[in-house]
Amino acid sequence: MSNEITIKIDGKECKTTEGEFLLNAARANDIFIPAICYLTRCSPTLACRICLVEADGKRVYACNAKAKDGMEITVSNEEILEERRAIMEVYDVNHPLQCGICDQSGECELQNYTLELGVDSQQYFIPDTKRENKDWSSVLHYDAGLCIVCERCTTVCKDMIGDAAIKTGARGGAVLDKGLKTTMPKDAYAMWNKLQKAIIVPSNGTEFTNCSDCGECTAVCPVGALVSKEFIYTTNSWELERIPATCAHCSSGCQIYYETKHTSISNPDKKIYRVTNEWNYVSLCGAGRFGFDFENRVDGKDEDAFNRAIEAFKKADTIKFNSTITNEEALMLQRVKDKFGTRLVNADALAFKEFLSIYSIASGNSLYKNDFREVMQSDFVISVGTSLRNDNPNARYAFNNVQKMNKGAGLYFHPVGDTLVPTFGKSVESLIHKVGQEELALYLVLDLFADKEKIPSDIKDYLASFHSTVKKTIKEKVMQSVTSTVVDKVTGESKEVTKKVPKMIDKEIEADENELINLLGGDSSKFADAFEKMMKKKENFSMIIGEDLYFHPKARNIARLVALIETTCDMNLVMIPPKTNSLGVALICDLDKEVSGYTIGYNEKADFTLSAIGDGDLDIPAINQQEGTFVNMNKVLVPTNAALEYKGYELNDILNALDIGKDETIDFTIELPENKGFKAVAFDDLPNGYTNSGKENRGYILENLKVTKEDIKVVTFNDNIILNGEIAYRCNPQRQFNDFTEKSEQIFEEFAIYASPAKAEKLGKKVEVKFDKKSIVLSVIVDDRMSGDILAIPDFRSSEDIYAIFGKNRFKQVTIRKV
Amino acid sequence: MDAIIIETIVKAALVIAVFSALAGFGTFIERKILAFMQRRLGPMHVGPFGILQIAADGIKLFTKEDIIPQHANKFIFMIAPIITAATAFIALAAVPIFPEFTVFGYTIHPIVADINVGILFILGAMASGLYGPLLAGMAQANKWGIIGSARTAILFMSYEVVTGLSLLAPIMLVGSLSLIDFNAAQTGGVGEWLVWQQPVAFILFIIAGFAETNRTPFDILEHEAEIISGYATEYSGMRWGMFFIGEYANMITISFMASLIFFGGFNEWGILPGGLAILLKVSFFFFLMLWVRASWPHIRPDQLMWLCWKVLMPIAILNVLITGLVMML
Amino acid sequence: MSLNKFKDRNVGVQNYTLIEHEAFPQTGGEKFARVLKRTIKGELFVGLWVTMRTMILALFNGEIHTVKYPFEKLPISPRYRAIHDMLRLLESGHYRCIGCGLCEKICIADCIKMDTKYDENQRKEVTEYTINFGRCIFCGYCAEVCPELAIVHGGRYETASQQRASFSIFDDMLTPIDALKEQKEYPGFGAVSPNADDNIKKTPLAY
Repeated sequence: MSNEITIKIDGKECKTTEGEFLLNAARANDIFIPAICYLTRCSPTLACRICLVEADGKRVYACNAKAKDGMEITVSNEEILEERRAIMEVYDVNHPLQCGICDQSGECELQNYTLELGVDSQQYFIPDTKRENKDWSSVLHYDAGLCIVCERCTTVCKDMIGDAAIKTGARGGAVLDKGLKTTMPKDAYAMWNKLQKAIIVPSNGTEFTNCSDCGECTAVCPVGALVSKEFIYTTNSWELERIPATCAHCSSGCQIYYETKHTSISNPDKKIYRVTNEWNYVSLCGAGRFGFDFENRVDGKDEDAFNRAIEAFKKADTIKFNSTITNEEALMLQRVKDKFGTRLVNADALAFKEFLSIYSIASGNSLYKNDFREVMQSDFVISVGTSLRNDNPNARYAFNNVQKMNKGAGLYFHPVGDTLVPTFGKSVESLIHKVGQEELALYLVLDLFADKEKIPSDIKDYLASFHSTVKKTIKEKVMQSVTSTVVDKVTGESKEVTKKVPKMIDKEIEADENELINLLGGDSSKFADAFEKMMKKKENFSMIIGEDLYFHPKARNIARLVALIETTCDMNLVMIPPKTNSLGVALICDLDKEVSGYTIGYNEKADFTLSAIGDGDLDIPAINQQEGTFVNMNKVLVPTNAALEYKGYELNDILNALDIGKDETIDFTIELPENKGFKAVAFDDLPNGYTNSGKENRGYILENLKVTKEDIKVVTFNDNIILNGEIAYRCNPQRQFNDFTEKSEQIFEEFAIYASPAKAEKLGKKVEVKFDKKSIVLSVIVDDRMSGDILAIPDFRSSEDIYAIFGKNRFKQVTIRKV
Repeated sequence: MDAIIIETIVKAALVIAVFSALAGFGTFIERKILAFMQRRLGPMHVGPFGILQIAADGIKLFTKEDIIPQHANKFIFMIAPIITAATAFIALAAVPIFPEFTVFGYTIHPIVADINVGILFILGAMASGLYGPLLAGMAQANKWGIIGSARTAILFMSYEVVTGLSLLAPIMLVGSLSLIDFNAAQTGGVGEWLVWQQPVAFILFIIAGFAETNRTPFDILEHEAEIISGYATEYSGMRWGMFFIGEYANMITISFMASLIFFGGFNEWGILPGGLAILLKVSFFFFLMLWVRASWPHIRPDQLMWLCWKVLMPIAILNVLITGLVMML
Repeated sequence: MSLNKFKDRNVGVQNYTLIEHEAFPQTGGEKFARVLKRTIKGELFVGLWVTMRTMILALFNGEIHTVKYPFEKLPISPRYRAIHDMLRLLESGHYRCIGCGLCEKICIADCIKMDTKYDENQRKEVTEYTINFGRCIFCGYCAEVCPELAIVHGGRYETASQQRASFSIFDDMLTPIDALKEQKEYPGFGAVSPNADDNIKKTPLAY
């Protein structure tokens, strides 16, 4: 995309791309430029001014100055060092001397830079302002006294997370002595001037933030001002052991570190105290950050249960499981099937597998073409068939980040109204369509973006049938010449003066009316103009498709349509696997449709249940207690390590008893099927980290294999599948994904119906929802970011078996009765 | 005849009782003397100045469990300490302790048996006492014990020849083997003490006496720093105590012999009556043994053999020859 | 740093000082001469005199060095490093420990552990604090690193006990609240130096 150029930093030749920020270019080349307020994937805030450098003789800020070919940069000279030292000195003025107890002590950037720049005395002073400690939400704690207002929290919340739940507010601090303006370094004065006026406050004007409680602000905070409520004062950071792992809650598969230490003096067992991340390169959601204490603690090996488990495996007809498992576990289950012919049933993976197989036959590739890192680089994102806010946090972050960082635009198609998505950017169009119209959304994408030459003629005709030309009047501004006679007051002479005056006139034009827009709930007359604006200067397009499409009555046709879009439009295409490792399971296991006979449940309720949350017949380790790999939505096989000890039996022990096991579970990693795109790499050879340039260095990317392409016709939309009346939508609240998140103590979202405020008022506190065969009674919780009448019913509790109730559709027509 | 039998039995009982007690007292004195020589206090807590420490130790030794190792030769293991203790007291039988005195008109000879070969008897009895350590070390099935036994044999072979030869010269002068006769030969005051005529014999005898009683510098049988406790390693309780009693009784016997043979015995010494004189002399020799222990390091078994066979024995023979020559002229 | 020092594995030889001693006798004559010399020289009597002199001084001059330990105790240096004490603030009586964890970190025997929490007064509260005296080597680093002069070494050196925990519970080490007046500052490792005020540069304050 951009050209490679060479710049010189402190005499060292560095390769970078045109327009890259100097700070990133330096970091990628292992050159250290101090910086506090800058976050790699967010916009520069220029709050700290410490990244001051000299570029071609001019003083610039490395975080927002762009690289040009041949630039020569000096990282520090005497003046710059003095400036930086003054800045750090000012940050230290009135900063409480409580490093001894501060949670950030030891990993505090204020400590680090104070020492790095050699601040050993203080010459500036100002009266302090009383600043209160505040609990912003159930997980966030803000100690304003420690805050240095670097604005990293507000930046990440706006540019990455999209909540924009916090902002800078008035501090009411003392005013700086004007005399300092001349005596102290310029940038330090400017920074201090701003610092004395600002503090971080929730942006909704209340004491509490209205956000998704992701805790990313606590991660980016360079000092101890923002800390999670549970973690505060429980341990020093240097006592914690960091275990690189992969978050197991959704298909993002984010890299995380579990940080462990003994539980207490009297209990030497390890406990996870917190989860941290490489916040410059990966952003977590609330489930990943706070849902870590789901380990399955068992006292020892329960031999009786184990023997019963072996008997159960020998006589089982079906193994029912979900996709919150590792590839190794999936492969082991497949081995059981190979030996005993046991049926493997997994609802989410099966739907995804079927969708993928149709897609790959139609497109010729075994996997979708692109990944979410490419989506983040694009400047136009389309989202179809996913509740962006709930299904996958990283899809949402990518969608938001594109709007904020790439001056991008977005199209959001979904039946459930969402008030947050339109706030991501000015050029976001949200089309709230009817349930069942997903095909039409894809046809609209084809209509808007496809290279018309490539589309089959019948589709072309079908698309054309929605278009009609209408005459409409628009107001247009025209410049009119008006001539008037003016009498000069002094001389009395009259003159003729001609002026140009703007005038609005009605004009009739021929406009193209696109019926598809109207069908999808938009207004075609306004959309044309809006779309024109959105398309300005856009060159890199992406489309995210989600779970609604895999669980769709017309999923087969949709898969073909998606393949058609991929081949005819110049567009990145990514899919969100429905659960953590649905993609891996879909590739590894031969899945069956129906449960029959004696059934073993692997993390699911069945005749014999193996459970990682500890409520089954035999305990198995939870994800944070075992090694293994996942395939995330970027098609990358990522490793995770065991953070906590597990004393009981695991699946491999059962396989060993059945003579098909290995020494270690991870011995299966190297045997993952190569004909599905896996590589023969041993677990211990898989890296799990990031490089200084932000390049992800984790596991390996699955190979996208070529598949024999068949030419399959797509069919046109038939509106008999549109659902009306009361509709339930299978969708989890923001921080809940599975049984493990539910077990976590810091995740409070209940198993209940989520509805928009208006709808919730109508429903009352508790309702009974009747499905075809079954009915459930749930309380109603207001989700103030939802709009419309559709109810969201979560599926994270596997014992409720919501998947079976909904069957092969995420939307269901229901009847509702107040209880 | 009956009177002699009764008298002898009473004397024997008294000797055993008194000298057992003295042996115990000897341990206390040793600990005290060694402590003072090392700027310590020694036993202090049982009784005044710790004097009752003997009683405490005795009670301890009597009540301690008597352990016999599994693979020991049980019989020999059990009698070995008895040999040591018994021979020590048997040797004392021929030692005149005090001058004669009269009680209720009855003259008492404070000697159990005045036999005419007294010196020979004492040396023989004391020498056979070394069978105790020898057998004890070999019977206890312990490597340290075996080494202790071997060293006993070395000791035995080394000193015995010197003891006999060193005493030969005084015997030649006195012309008797009875200690009473030795005493009678030195009645003429300090000037007639045999030590002036036989200084070399005295030195040789005292060295050999140290060896005979296993005292430093010749305590090679049970030297703690090298062989744990040598022949006594596996012994406990009263059996171990009997080795001790034997050793201290031997020390007293040697002290008596030195006093009687070379230092005028129980003859009156100036204004000192004979009984007190001999007590002082014996006490001095006993103290000398403790003093030497506090001052000198001990020597190796090979050095002991070298000393006895290559140095002391030739000197002793020379001494006998010179004495003979002088007597003939 | 040069590694040459470590590459020379001929350990020990370098620092030996050879002591002059007379040549060993080789022939029989020489050996005999040595025996004679040693016999006549009277060194043995020097030894006897040394012990006799000591005994005389001990008996008549009272030069006995025994300390009857449980009844008599030698005074220890105020800087002696025995069982730790946890001190209190003199004004409020609150314990000085702020739970910073520096002692836990610096402890080379890894025997200090603490549990802390966020308390209702928004302060860091030390809920549990123990020192494993089975492991402690009394090096004094904890007292030296403590920024609050909270953990110091006390004078209790008699550390025999039925259980290790007898010394290591926070409340046992803490100055009893009624003995607050007798609490003494520790002059050893970590104490404020007498000229501490001269060594710091004052920070300007606006109030």
